Amino acid sequence: MSQVQCLPVAGKNMSKVKKYLEDARDNETRELELIDKNISSLDELPNIFSLPFVTRITLSHNKISVLPPAIANLNNLEILNLSNNHLEELPLSLSSMPKLRILNCSINRLSTLPRGFGAFPVLEVLDLSYNNLNERELPGNFFKLETLRALYLGDNDFEYLPPEIKFMRNLQILGLRDNDLLELPREIGELGRLRELHIQNNRLTVIPPEIANLDLYSNKSVFKMEENPWVQPISEQYLLGISHVLEYIKTEAYRILYNRHVTGGKSAVPIPPRADKSKKASRARS
Amino acid sequence: MPPITQVPTSMSLETMTCTRCDEGFEPQEKIVNSNGQLWHIQCFVCAQCFRTFQDGIFYEFEGRKYCEKDFRVLFAPYCSKCGEIVIGRVIKAMQASWHPECFRCQLCAKELADSGFIRNNNRALCHGCNANIKASEIGKYSCQKCHGIIDGAPLRFRGEVYHGYHFNCTSCGVELDSTAREIKSRTGFAANDMNELYCLKCHDRMGVPICGACRRPIEERVVTALGKHWHVEHFVCAKCEKPFLGHRHYEKRGLAYCETHYHQLFGNLCFVCNQVVSGDVFTALNKAWCVHHFSCDMCNTNLDLKSKFYEYDEKPVCKKCYERMPSELRKRLRVAHENTMRKN
Repeated sequence: MSQVQCLPVAGKNMSKVKKYLEDARDNETRELELIDKNISSLDELPNIFSLPFVTRITLSHNKISVLPPAIANLNNLEILNLSNNHLEELPLSLSSMPKLRILNCSINRLSTLPRGFGAFPVLEVLDLSYNNLNERELPGNFFKLETLRALYLGDNDFEYLPPEIKFMRNLQILGLRDNDLLELPREIGELGRLRELHIQNNRLTVIPPEIANLDLYSNKSVFKMEENPWVQPISEQYLLGISHVLEYIKTEAYRILYNRHVTGGKSAVPIPPRADKSKKASRARS
Repeated sequence: MPPITQVPTSMSLETMTCTRCDEGFEPQEKIVNSNGQLWHIQCFVCAQCFRTFQDGIFYEFEGRKYCEKDFRVLFAPYCSKCGEIVIGRVIKAMQASWHPECFRCQLCAKELADSGFIRNNNRALCHGCNANIKASEIGKYSCQKCHGIIDGAPLRFRGEVYHGYHFNCTSCGVELDSTAREIKSRTGFAANDMNELYCLKCHDRMGVPICGACRRPIEERVVTALGKHWHVEHFVCAKCEKPFLGHRHYEKRGLAYCETHYHQLFGNLCFVCNQVVSGDVFTALNKAWCVHHFSCDMCNTNLDLKSKFYEYDEKPVCKKCYERMPSELRKRLRVAHENTMRKN
């Protein structure tokens, strides 16, 4: 309804955007920036898909709800930033883009990913934070993204992280803050290059002892674990510092505690409720 | 041996008899004298074929004389190695006969006729090879000079092992032990018979560089780095242990690294381009960035040291973009930030 009112404004705006794209084509601009331009559909800008020299497109802070599959025509595109839009789904063609290294779809309304989405040949950074994704919506080949070095899944609806995470063996950054996670897989300890792990604001009570194998306590490392209902020994160590937690989970005492916890102790502890996400912008209906 | 035919003059004819037929001799008869034994000419014949010896040459065996042909047929030894008849000196060994030049050590092929041999496992071996085998059987070396077993570490010299005490330092003359160092005195010569031995003290005084990795002298190319000398193949990345072989290396806390591992370990790969940061490094949010790549994660606005930015998932976001984020998210980010501040 509001769109009807905005049409004249959008129309005037659109002519400016079209002019920008014409100049970009004439000058063979390699980096397109259309930030906060009130763009609601790329179908109004068909020219944008016929700029083969473009290596970076930034479309942050718009109202785009559909990304046309023709985006994959941009053979040289390396960086695509779609943060803070209204995207509800992504086209499968995206994952066949030969040079796409960085894809930012944070702050959108994605509740699913297309089947076969994990086929990106060279993707290094994938930001899907602040959407409505969970482990059941991930396509089967999602963890085949072996070239990925940063995966941001914060602010979504994950309750479990699939153990297949271990196949992302180049991962250096894993963002899982503000989800509904109840446990983490032991396989996370196999991510030998992991330097950043964000698991704050979840429903975690224990962490796999294998996490101690990772180098999460150096001047290049980040381990964020606050705001979880940790078992008492972990929360006590956490008050002393991250290094104390990482030392504690190496101990035999913790190993026993952890094993008891994952094999059956769960029922003894009431499962904390999920966070209330009704106010999230990603929940808005278009 | 050619016989001597002569007319005896000093002996009395009556008492002399022929060695073969025991008969006396007629006066003026020609008598054969061979090593003091006398014969009628017709009696001085081959014990086998009764014919006179051609050219007077005969072969004796157990007191009997044979012509060459019959001797060969009846008694001559055949060499166990080459299968030919052995004439002259016969080596009888290992239940067989040999030409002296055919009887050799079965390992090193040295002639054994004059030096003697040792029977080892049904082989004829020289003393040296026999000592080697005995030593290796008990896990030790045998000295190439005295063939004795070497207890403890051997001295290695010109490709062989020795007791150190057989040698003296080329410089100071002190008796050596296994710590002695072998020096190629003329570099460029492949043969090691130019090598000489020095005691450790004299060796160090000579200034031959010692490899910082293996602690052995460096006689080929020397790499000098980190205040030490190295064999080319021993100067390696502290992480992957691959030799640099002349490629650039990076030093950090007394260790050397290849380019890849230096940047992997010490974090100078740019978060945006994932390339080694050339020029100034921007370090923020526990990451490294090229100066021109340190920009707002949402709008690419370049940031610098003075720029105010917000942290979102350990990535920088400019103030303008932060304010465009959903207010609900901003509120949570603010609370989280305040909690972190309080804890620290």
